[in-house]
Amino acid sequence: MKEEWRLLTTENKTAYSNMAIDRAVLVANSKGIVPPTVRFFSWSPPAISIGYFQSLEEEIDLDYCKMVGVDYVRRITGGGAVFHEKELTYSIVIAESHPQIPKNIIDSYKRICGAIIRGLEDLGIESNYFPINDILTNHKKISGNAQTRKSRTVLQHGTILMDVNVEKMFSILRVPDEKIKDKLIKDVKERVTSIKHILDSDVCFSEVADSMRKGFEEEFNIKLVNGVLTDEEINLAESFERECFSAKEWNHRR
Amino acid sequence: MKSKSVYKVPDGKLLKIFIDYNYRKLLINKIKITGDFFAYPEESIEWIENELINTSIKKEVLQNKIDTIIEKNNIDFIGLNSEGLVEGILRCLR
Repeated sequence: MKEEWRLLTTENKTAYSNMAIDRAVLVANSKGIVPPTVRFFSWSPPAISIGYFQSLEEEIDLDYCKMVGVDYVRRITGGGAVFHEKELTYSIVIAESHPQIPKNIIDSYKRICGAIIRGLEDLGIESNYFPINDILTNHKKISGNAQTRKSRTVLQHGTILMDVNVEKMFSILRVPDEKIKDKLIKDVKERVTSIKHILDSDVCFSEVADSMRKGFEEEFNIKLVNGVLTDEEINLAESFERECFSAKEWNHRR
Repeated sequence: MKSKSVYKVPDGKLLKIFIDYNYRKLLINKIKITGDFFAYPEESIEWIENELINTSIKKEVLQNKIDTIIEKNNIDFIGLNSEGLVEGILRCLR
């Protein structure tokens, strides 16, 4: 019989809630209370997440964010700033010692990205893992990923772009030199793509989620079982949201 | 004196370092290491920042000190390395 992992689907949550849920699941899994867990989620309102080591004010135009109603949050994972609007975001939480997870960090990125690549394939999109943390299709980025390991547990989350608005993205992200902004936008347009751009048609969250589910099940030879957060996870997530991810001390710490 | 450097680590990520240093003695008063790199465990960057306080801004001194901290604490960097950190700090003086 195939090993069963839990699947959570939580659409349209705030940035603070999304980051709090990932951390709560990480804590619960590290205590052995919940099985390996895959989550598919989206963001409402749209938000920017920055990497753990990034400087908030260096990366983001905070006044502009407030003006256009875009939230911002610091992740517990490293990596760069990401504008989350039209995308499916996934996360996976699993013990570091699980036989399916390579000990080497780069190898484990590649393995988990393997599930996303299979999911994209199910949507009719060919893609490849590109170290350190990207998935490319036709040399353009369609997915960015970030991983942390805490309490002997792996959390990897990543974006799968369903559509992308580069102009909007660059109004929010700080650009070192305004004069080269147009060139940067052009460069990024040449480097970033989305499911919609490739398939030339709109896709909805649930279609992408169905394909990603297959991707994870095939890559890890497991069965994903629809589940919900436990009461303990809900309580943990609420306290992380309140005390950490929505707090100025956390988001402005760098 | 305050300064900042932006340095793309070869084959790595973009490192942005902010320092406050003693101009005459070339000692670090305070340092903030930021960027889109990965470090495991994540707390290691704060350890390095704290250990670098009062350190001389000289290549060999910085390199030795950072290598020692990395080794002692089993730190893994992705998209960053100790040479990149040293170069980023030295560039704050230019």
